[in-house]
Amino acid sequence: MPVQSKMSLTPDSPLSVNPSRISRWAGAFHALFSTKATALGTTIVLIFVVVAFIAPLIAPYGVNEQIYSDARQAPSADHWFGTDHLGRDVFSRVLYGASDILFLAGLGTAMAVMCGTAVGLLSGYAGGMVDEIMMRFFDSLLAMPALLLALLLLGTLGPSRNSVFIVMVIVYTPIVARVVRSVVLSVRSKGFVEAARLQGESIEWVLFREILPSVTPTLAVEAALRFSYAIFLVASLGFLGVGVQPPSPNWGLMVNEARPHVGQLPWALFFPAAAIAIVVIGVNLMADGVKRLLQA
Amino acid sequence: MELSGTNFRLYNKRLGITLIFVLLMALSACTRGTAETPGEQVETSDGATAGGVEEVTSGEVGDTKAERVGTLRVAMQPIVNIDPIAISSDSEVLVANHVYDYLIDIDSLSNPVPRLATEWKTSEDGLTYTLELAEGVTWHDGSPFSAQDVVWTFDRLRTTEGTPTFDLYSNITGVEATGGLEVTFTLANPNPFFLYDLSDNHALILKAGTTDADTTFNGTGPFKVKNYSPEDRIEMVANEDYFVLGQPRLAGVDIIFFNDDAAAVEALRGGQIDLAMRMSTALFSSLQDVPGITTSSIPTNGFDLIRLRSDRAPGNDPRVIQALKLATDREAILNVVQQGYGALGNDSPIGPLYDAYHDETAIPPARDVEAARALLAEAGYADGMKITLHTPDTGGRPDLAAVLKEQWAEVGVDVEISVEPESVYYGDDGWLEVDLGITGWGSRPYPQFYLDVMLVSGAKWNESHFSDAEFDALAATAGTTLDEEERIKAYSDIQHLLIERGPIIIPYYFAQFGAISDNFSGLSLNAFAGRTDFRPVRFVGN
Repeated sequence: MPVQSKMSLTPDSPLSVNPSRISRWAGAFHALFSTKATALGTTIVLIFVVVAFIAPLIAPYGVNEQIYSDARQAPSADHWFGTDHLGRDVFSRVLYGASDILFLAGLGTAMAVMCGTAVGLLSGYAGGMVDEIMMRFFDSLLAMPALLLALLLLGTLGPSRNSVFIVMVIVYTPIVARVVRSVVLSVRSKGFVEAARLQGESIEWVLFREILPSVTPTLAVEAALRFSYAIFLVASLGFLGVGVQPPSPNWGLMVNEARPHVGQLPWALFFPAAAIAIVVIGVNLMADGVKRLLQA
Repeated sequence: MELSGTNFRLYNKRLGITLIFVLLMALSACTRGTAETPGEQVETSDGATAGGVEEVTSGEVGDTKAERVGTLRVAMQPIVNIDPIAISSDSEVLVANHVYDYLIDIDSLSNPVPRLATEWKTSEDGLTYTLELAEGVTWHDGSPFSAQDVVWTFDRLRTTEGTPTFDLYSNITGVEATGGLEVTFTLANPNPFFLYDLSDNHALILKAGTTDADTTFNGTGPFKVKNYSPEDRIEMVANEDYFVLGQPRLAGVDIIFFNDDAAAVEALRGGQIDLAMRMSTALFSSLQDVPGITTSSIPTNGFDLIRLRSDRAPGNDPRVIQALKLATDREAILNVVQQGYGALGNDSPIGPLYDAYHDETAIPPARDVEAARALLAEAGYADGMKITLHTPDTGGRPDLAAVLKEQWAEVGVDVEISVEPESVYYGDDGWLEVDLGITGWGSRPYPQFYLDVMLVSGAKWNESHFSDAEFDALAATAGTTLDEEERIKAYSDIQHLLIERGPIIIPYYFAQFGAISDNFSGLSLNAFAGRTDFRPVRFVGN
C-alpha cells in the first residue's frame, strides 16, 4: 500500500491524523504510570495542576479574605487547614497557591528550556570561539549558587512576579544550555548529521531536525528536574521575602508569614510547607518516569 | 513495575533531601522570628523615656547597706557604639545607662526625677536652669565627680558637629559651673521641655577630658564593666561606691548579645538568660503561662504610621485621605495585627500615654465604606484607584499592609504591596519620597518631638509632605509657651486638626513587652527598652 506508507512519511500533514502520534502519546501516558512510583508522582502533579486551574471554583473562601472573628483558629470543619493570624483560610490559600507556584515555575522553566536549548544547540554546533565565549560566560554565572545569583538579580530588579520569572530564566538557561551542548557535541560528528550537512541542508534543519531529536530525551528529563528546582526557587524566594509580594498565596511566602506564629499556629506553616514538599516529590518521581519513557 | 535498587536509592535520596528541606524550614521557623519588636525605634536621636507603669513584681525598700547578690543575664542586640555621644540602639543605651548616669531620669508618669541632679530650678523667663548635683559621687577610676564634668560633657554634646545632640542643644547658649556641685544652663529661647532634653539618651555624664570613651568605660554609674567581648557579651559588676544608698541590689548584670529575638526567647525558656525585652507580639504571646517566667507589657507612644504624600496627586486632594481614613477599621487592625496589645490609635502622635495632652474626645470617625466611596467618586476616582503601599519588612508592618489592602479594596482602592528590607526602605531617604508608606515611630517622652520632625512644614522627616499654616502655628505655640493650659489647648486642637485633614493614619500604639525569670523581682519596664533601670532589680531565687 504505497499511498498509506507515503502518508506516514509526512508526519506534519495537517490533513491526516497520524496513528503513530496517538500511539506515542498513549505510550507516554502508559510510561508515566509504568511504575508505582512514577504513577504516584504523575498523579500528584496532575492533581495539583487541576487544583491550580479550578482553585477559584473549589476554594471555600477567598484567597485574601480576612475573617477577623475566625483568626488564629485550629483546623476544623469550617477551616480544614485552620486560619492564619490575619483570619485567612489556610486551605483556600494553599489551593490558590498551587496556581501561583506551578504557573510561575512552569513558565520560567519553559522559557529557560527554550533559551537554553537554542543557545546550547548553537554553541555546541558552532564550536570554536563562539562556543568558548558562551561557555565561559555561562561558567561565570554557574560559579554562583543559584539562590545567591537570584538574590543578587532580585536586589537589582526589585521584588515582583516578573522579576522572579526573569531571574528563573537567567539562572536556569546556562544549566540547560550546558546539558544540551554536551549532547550536541556527542552527536555532531555522527554520520547522519554529516550526511545532512553534506546534502546542503540549512543550519536550522540540521540543528532542529537532525540534532534536536537526539537531545530531546536528555532535555525532557532536564526540564522535569528544572521544574522541581524552579518550584523550590519560587518558594525559597517567597520565603525570603524577595520574590512574589504579599498578600500572594505563594507557599514560600505563606511559610515566611506563618513563621513568627509557629508556636501558636503551627498549621499555618505546616500545610504550605507540606504542599511544597509533596509537589516537589511528585515532580521528581514523574521526572523519573519521563526518563524511563524516553530511554525506552 | 518494580523498582531497581539504584532507582530505589535515588528515590530515597530525593525524598530524604526534600524531607530535610521541610525539616530545616520547620526548624528555622522554630528558632527564628521577626527580629523586631513592635516598639522598635526608627531613630533614637531624641531622649526616650516614658511609660514604665506596670511593675513585674514589687521590690522592697532597699537597705542602706544592701547585700548584692545574683547576676541578671539580659538578652539584647549586639552593641556597636559605646561612646555615649554616638549610641542609638536599645542595647547601646542600656549598657551606657548602667555604666554612666544621666542628670535627670524620666519616670513612668513622664515626670523628670533626680539622678545626678538632685534638684533644679528655672528662672521666671524660662531661660535659665540651675541644677544641684549629688554629693559623694565618684568615677569608677576613684576620682571625684564635680560640676566641671557636667560642663565638659554638655559642651562636647552641643559642639560636636554631626551628632544628634548638636541640633538638640543648639538652643543652649552657655553651660557654667556656678559652684562645686552646681551647674547653670542658659537658653536662647524658652523651651518648656528642656528637662526632658537634658535626659536625652546621649546626655550621660563623662569625666572631663575623657578622650577614649569609645574604648573604655569610666562612668559614675551603678555597674562597672568587667569584660566586654564584642558581638558576644558585656559583663558588669556592681559599683560598690555607687552614690545612691542601697543600689544597685544585684551583684552583676551580663548583657548577652542575640541577633535574633526568637533565639533570645528560646534562651529565656531554657534558662540561659533571665530577661528579654525585644520580641514580636507573636513571641510574647508564646511566653504566656510558661512556668518560671513572668511577662508584662506596658503602653508606649510608639506607633506605625500610614502616611500619604499630600503635595501631589492623589494625596493633594483632601477627600482622598478622608476616604482612606473612613475605609480603615482601626479596631480590627489593633486586634488582628497587634493581637489587641497596645492602644487604639487616633491618627495623631499624641497618644494616651501623654495623659495631660491626649484628648479623649478626638476620635476619628467610624468606618463608613459608603461615605468613603462617595468621597473618592467626588475626587474623581469613581472607578477606583490603584496605588502602591511601601512598607519595611519588620514588625507587624507587612501584616498591617495586608489588612489595609483588604479593607481599602472595599472602597475601590486597589493596593499593591511592596515589602522592602528595612535598610532599603530607609536607605537613601526613599521612605520620604514614596506616595504611600508605612513607617514605624518609636516612643518619646513628650509629644512635641513628633510634630517638630514629622509634621510641621519643611520638617526633616516630614514624610507626608504636610504643610498647613494653622497646624504650624499650633505646633509652634505648643512647643514654646510656658503656659501649660495654652499648651494643652494647642495639643487638643492639633489632634482634632490631624483627624480632619492630617495625611496620616495611626491605627494603634505599640505595647512594650518584657519577660523575666521568676528569680528576679523589682523590674519596671520602660517604653524605651534601653532606658530600663536595673538598679532596683534584685535576686530572689535560690
